[in-house]
Amino acid sequence: MKHSKFLALGAAAALAVGLAGCAPSAPEPGESSGSTGPSDETISIGTTTDVVNFNPVLGNSRTDSWITNLMYPHLLSISDDGTKEAHVATDWGYVDDTTGFYEIRDDLTWSDGEPLTAEDVAWTLNAVKRDQAPGTFYGQLGNLDTATAVSDTRVELTLTQPDSSIIEEIGFWGVVVPKHVFDPQGSIAEFANDGSDGGWVGMGPFIMSDFQVGQHYTLERVEDYPLVDGGVPGPAEVVYRVYPDVNTEILALQSGEIDVIANALPPAQVEQLSNTDGLQVIEAPGLGYAHLVYNMDKPDLAKTEVRQALAHAVDYEAIRTVVLQGQAVSTGSSALMPVLAKYYDESVTEYEFDPEKSRELMEKAGYTADAGGNFPVSFRLIYSLQDSVTSQWAQMVKDSAAEAGITIELQGTERNTYLSQTSEGDYDIYAGNFAIMDDPVTNFALSYLPGGAINYTHVDDSDLNALIEEGMVTFDEDDKISIMREANKIVHEQVYDNIMYTQNLFFAASDEWAGFISKPSELLSIVNPLSLASAHPVE
Amino acid sequence: MSRASFILRRAGRGLLTIWFAVTVTFLLLRLLPGDPALALASPNMTDAIRATILEQYGLDQPLIVQYGLYMWQLLQGNLGISFTQSIPVLDVLLQRLPWTLLLTMTALVLTIIIGIPLGVAAASHKGRFIDRAVQIVGVTGQSLFVPSVAILLLFVFGLNLGWFPIGGAYTNNTYGLEWYLSVAQHLVLPAVSLMLIQVGSYVLTMRSTLIETLGEDYILLAKANGLRGRRILWKHALRNALLPTTTLIGLQLGFLVGGAVLTETVFAYPGIGRGIYEAVTQLDFPVLQGAFLMLAATVVVANTLTDIVYGYLDPRVKTS
Repeated sequence: MKHSKFLALGAAAALAVGLAGCAPSAPEPGESSGSTGPSDETISIGTTTDVVNFNPVLGNSRTDSWITNLMYPHLLSISDDGTKEAHVATDWGYVDDTTGFYEIRDDLTWSDGEPLTAEDVAWTLNAVKRDQAPGTFYGQLGNLDTATAVSDTRVELTLTQPDSSIIEEIGFWGVVVPKHVFDPQGSIAEFANDGSDGGWVGMGPFIMSDFQVGQHYTLERVEDYPLVDGGVPGPAEVVYRVYPDVNTEILALQSGEIDVIANALPPAQVEQLSNTDGLQVIEAPGLGYAHLVYNMDKPDLAKTEVRQALAHAVDYEAIRTVVLQGQAVSTGSSALMPVLAKYYDESVTEYEFDPEKSRELMEKAGYTADAGGNFPVSFRLIYSLQDSVTSQWAQMVKDSAAEAGITIELQGTERNTYLSQTSEGDYDIYAGNFAIMDDPVTNFALSYLPGGAINYTHVDDSDLNALIEEGMVTFDEDDKISIMREANKIVHEQVYDNIMYTQNLFFAASDEWAGFISKPSELLSIVNPLSLASAHPVE
Repeated sequence: MSRASFILRRAGRGLLTIWFAVTVTFLLLRLLPGDPALALASPNMTDAIRATILEQYGLDQPLIVQYGLYMWQLLQGNLGISFTQSIPVLDVLLQRLPWTLLLTMTALVLTIIIGIPLGVAAASHKGRFIDRAVQIVGVTGQSLFVPSVAILLLFVFGLNLGWFPIGGAYTNNTYGLEWYLSVAQHLVLPAVSLMLIQVGSYVLTMRSTLIETLGEDYILLAKANGLRGRRILWKHALRNALLPTTTLIGLQLGFLVGGAVLTETVFAYPGIGRGIYEAVTQLDFPVLQGAFLMLAATVVVANTLTDIVYGYLDPRVKTS
């Protein structure tokens, strides 16, 4: 008995000590920021993933961008009609075919008081290129040779070849980091920038003050932010909180735990939340599209008539009405989407859903239907199971193709497998989404040139290639639009890409906050720096 | 066998198990479909960028070379650098470990203090209403699925009643006592979820072993000697009946950790489980290897300690 008593006491003591020892420790009041300025309110925002990297030139995670965008500026922003607009850069363009430039504002300072100059811009570009920092930014620098600060406010970029898109693309996708902080750290690709060495130095409406991985990321207001009306951001603090998925975020918004959901709402939730007391739903145009791509490396799909048959075997309107709940717009089966207003071509119209026409095209391609009306071919369509919208419409694509006697086998997999299959060309039909297609020439080069990173149809059409290459070196905007429209007609006629729709995006927030400025895409939405700096509590 | 050699043998077996777990984890991760380079950069990167990334992280090396380098680094106590976060894996894990320990240990304590008395109550009222009710609770508990329980609790107690927060581990801008209260409030739903799926095993194990023990000759002898039922139950029967439950604590630790991955994910609890979930989506091999090594070591150490405690409780084990 004595032994068991001691054992029980020992076990209890060990557990107590264990619990006390492993318990996380409470923060000290000084560790987080206080609230000063026009509003003492904290705005809490839900996200579904942690920050992967605090270094804004690395990676491409959405949460990383939402948070680092509040601390590190982009040269350009984007308007609702898809045109690039001034942000840190006030003017931009080309000196000649292989030299581009940015003129930047002269009234910006980093949070440690150092001025933000053209030298910071040039150094960032050269360092990302030199150190091959993996991420979307580096991907834009293919034709950059070197960047030079020719004055405090002017940067000139020498290009390895003429490229009429690179200045706007770098301006939109790239960020500027403080040279005096990043340079001493060595390779920009290996700098964690996690605040462990004296905190963060940035230029934005907010600056990181405290974080707990997996729990919250807290940014405090920067009192001097010239890019917002009045020069002082509205909320005293921005806190990003991490939730497992958008459904839990909705619960948290309804319970008052957060004020904004950063992620776009699933289509099925939009109407319900629009009618919920205490909430507001804000719309932003989409900059991307959902599409089906037919792999031309497969002999059946190399036949134009088969791709056309498949294009006419999809009920696009039903997909937009049923799955997208009417929240998507037709692009006219065109890669030049309506949101890119200058480029949009109304003469290109959507493929008509017509199973009989599909049958005729299949017969024209040399196939004969059996007694049951089915053609002796079958196509494997891949999609990501994590993409709930595509998962739903993939089934509709299969069903409507069956009406035309064409068999489609669905293969939904987890995202990493799907990406792997995509990069290996292991599919007949690819179903997926691109979030942001902001520049037509860049999009066409990536999608339809041989070796293009997202040339999932594996097309190599000499006429199309020539037009895209001409577009890349045409600096006159009207000429460029005309060339890209010609290229788009070829893509449409040959069904090198089947663009299904552009999805409008909806974001939910508490109606206790106002002043949000929505921008196109989920990446910018209502959590872009200007929007959060302009947000203020409703009186 | 002396106590020292018994402990040494158990420790040696534990190290072998950890090496095996590390090797299997290393190989399994590389068999996963997907390309870590795709998680590091945009899917629309060029082949040249992809090759650069693979080279930077040593993923272009043959598998055996990667394994050799990994084991060499491991022997020096280096778990590597996270692919995605560019910081040491040990730092990544240490940021999250306290929360996982707090959650799992709280759930374990709750499970023990609820499960064992329930099992005792059922065994001592064998065949009666309490016994049947406890058995139903036990069997139901064993068949529960963590995410289902968690989401139900979240919906009822988080959203509808508003008693507990929807996610996270504490409320921002709270300090001192207020912070500890906030941590406790955030801990309730995840810990209860984890407890609910564990407690059934404890209840049923305790009940069956205690019933068996109560039928032993020495218990009958004690009864014949006129000892009171309560004294027989708590003084004579319980100690022996606790032996299988002690083993269960060690064995269940693995399930507890597995359950924590799901629980932390549903409740956005910032522990290692949630970290594993994110590392899987990003194919962050070093973080996954480090996390699984840590979990394997935890389970092995717990089992070894269980063996040792068991050997102490029942000396026959050391000679077997």
